[in-house]
Amino acid sequence: MSDEPRDATATAAADADTEVTGGFADRWASFRDREISTVLLTVVGVAVFPFLFNNYLDGYTQLATLMLIYGIFAVGFDILLGYTGLLSFGHAVFFGGAAYAAGIFSASVSSSPLLVLLAGTVFAVLLAWIVGFLSLRRGGIYFAILTLTFGQMSFYLAASPLAFLTNGENGFTSVDIGSLLGVIDIHGGVPFPLSMLVDNMLYVFVAVMTVLSVAMANRILHSPYGTVFRAIRENERRAEFVGLDVWRYKLMAFIISAAFAGIAGSLFAIEGNYVPLQSLYWTESGRIVIMTVLGGVGSLFGPLFGAGVYLYIENIVSGFETLGPFWHLILGVVFVVAVVLFPNGIWGGIDYVRDRVVGGDDE
Amino acid sequence: MQRGESSVTLLADILTILLNGLQQGAIYVLLAVGLSIILGTLKFVNFAHGALYLVGAYLGLFITGNVPLNDGQLAAWGIESYGIGLGFIAALIIVPIVVFVIGLLMERLVAQAFYDRPDTDQILVTFGLAIIVQELLRAMLGGNSQPFPQPSWASGPIALPVVGNFPRWRLGVIAITAVLVLGVYALVEYTDFGLIVQAGTLDGEMVRLLGIKLSRPYLVVFGIGAALAGVAGVVGGPLANVNPNIGTEQLVPAFLTVVIGGVGKIEGAVVAGLMLGTLQVLLIQTGYAAWSQVGIYALAALVLLVRPQGLLGSEVDVS
Repeated sequence: MSDEPRDATATAAADADTEVTGGFADRWASFRDREISTVLLTVVGVAVFPFLFNNYLDGYTQLATLMLIYGIFAVGFDILLGYTGLLSFGHAVFFGGAAYAAGIFSASVSSSPLLVLLAGTVFAVLLAWIVGFLSLRRGGIYFAILTLTFGQMSFYLAASPLAFLTNGENGFTSVDIGSLLGVIDIHGGVPFPLSMLVDNMLYVFVAVMTVLSVAMANRILHSPYGTVFRAIRENERRAEFVGLDVWRYKLMAFIISAAFAGIAGSLFAIEGNYVPLQSLYWTESGRIVIMTVLGGVGSLFGPLFGAGVYLYIENIVSGFETLGPFWHLILGVVFVVAVVLFPNGIWGGIDYVRDRVVGGDDE
Repeated sequence: MQRGESSVTLLADILTILLNGLQQGAIYVLLAVGLSIILGTLKFVNFAHGALYLVGAYLGLFITGNVPLNDGQLAAWGIESYGIGLGFIAALIIVPIVVFVIGLLMERLVAQAFYDRPDTDQILVTFGLAIIVQELLRAMLGGNSQPFPQPSWASGPIALPVVGNFPRWRLGVIAITAVLVLGVYALVEYTDFGLIVQAGTLDGEMVRLLGIKLSRPYLVVFGIGAALAGVAGVVGGPLANVNPNIGTEQLVPAFLTVVIGGVGKIEGAVVAGLMLGTLQVLLIQTGYAAWSQVGIYALAALVLLVRPQGLLGSEVDVS
């Protein structure tokens, strides 16, 4: 799923080669490129994931849910970092902000999960409009530092001046989530055929949102709009010379990625029934940067994968006897190695291996 | 009579706020000057600068005294304490030398490979390094906060005219910062080394064409920047407890100081650091403590939006 130009040409070359012979690789390549197949793959992926995760990887459904939530966040973040080439160090403000907005909305307006999700996401989008408008006046490191500044500002705002809304350092504890569409208990079990795969309604809800988010990201990235994002990443000045309003597209990329962060943040509040103040701190922004880069910038599934790996190390590896205490250190080392040696992350590595294998078949 | 007395207390209040602001800002300044000269001359964004501060603080603890261990891997392996107990002055001298060397190694082993890569990659790799340093310290020494004792010759209050009693160590922080920053300023402004560095900042290509090798001056700049962060750790340590998070906590205000003052400008870093420090203290002492952190970020955002190149930065610096 990588959109790196060299990969695209490599795939094209592979296509041209295989057209002569036809066969499985050819059909697989054309299947892979269709939108419906991306969505189908995601559906199958999220459906079998908890079963495999719980039985073979020492996982548990709650962690699987959290992985998907951060996966959505990372997919959105990659639209900004991987496709548009902008590194934001303040995305926690949209994740945490949406979580707070969703939590407060659930406590004081309506507890319907869908409305709560909508409220959080709308809040993130509006906030991103303002923060993006102000931060995008400068490029490069200034953008990173400005987003960092606004992120920290919101953290300290939530910590004390707005404590009457956010409950300050203790985090927001009065999240109140009702039943889905008035009938389905979101924290309850699931009916029979589905229960063979999943044991928890919340996971199903989050999984559906994940599929929708991936489908949405896929649609955006394959539209002309997404092509413009890539053009800006490759050469901003050239994009401007062909008459594109680069600034406006950057702002839209920022807002779109914040919308994903908003969905994820709202789901996070729904999932945990709690919003920690920490969700606004800049290290949270750093987490999403690590997840996205680790998984693979500039690919659709890479960030999902990165979120999974990060949370796996954080929650499962940290329980191992000898490696456990070093889990965060391990993450740091893996991250640095990824940045230095594998700029396209784990997913890029998989792509590379696959291209090698396919190439070997052709010869 | 009444008016006279109240104006004296007002003056004392203002001076106290200014002195506390100076002290608060001093740490920002120490960190920001190093960060700023590295960013200005080498065009390298160092998110690991906070980690150098952290290393300085822990190294300072190690050299100054003997710290009991009750958490972390070293304790689990049966080591009960760490430290060589040479005292504070020794730490103040040894730490910058060690961190200077760390800076040199960092330039050669990390920064050099990333000069030609985008800013984004520089931020990512140094951010990763910062995490490694922080988590290594946490895993080995535990995440507990350690008190960093003030040097005995500088603890307790000192009686100042008008202001009254003032913590002696805070004056020490201000004095040490002033000496170090003036030293670096003189080095950059009045020596041949500084001249080469300045010329390299303006047009590195041209300096190389003139036959002057820039890689060594750049290396030294990186080392000096790192050493300043290390000293900041030793100087700032006694003001608050030392724990593995202080590096990431200091990094963000340090970066703000750099961009508010203008990248590469030592004077800018000083002005901006003092501004942030004073604002923070002002808000705390006038009853708006809840807003003190928000205030510095709001000020930073305001300056950057009105004057993107920073207070003392020139238009040329804007990338």
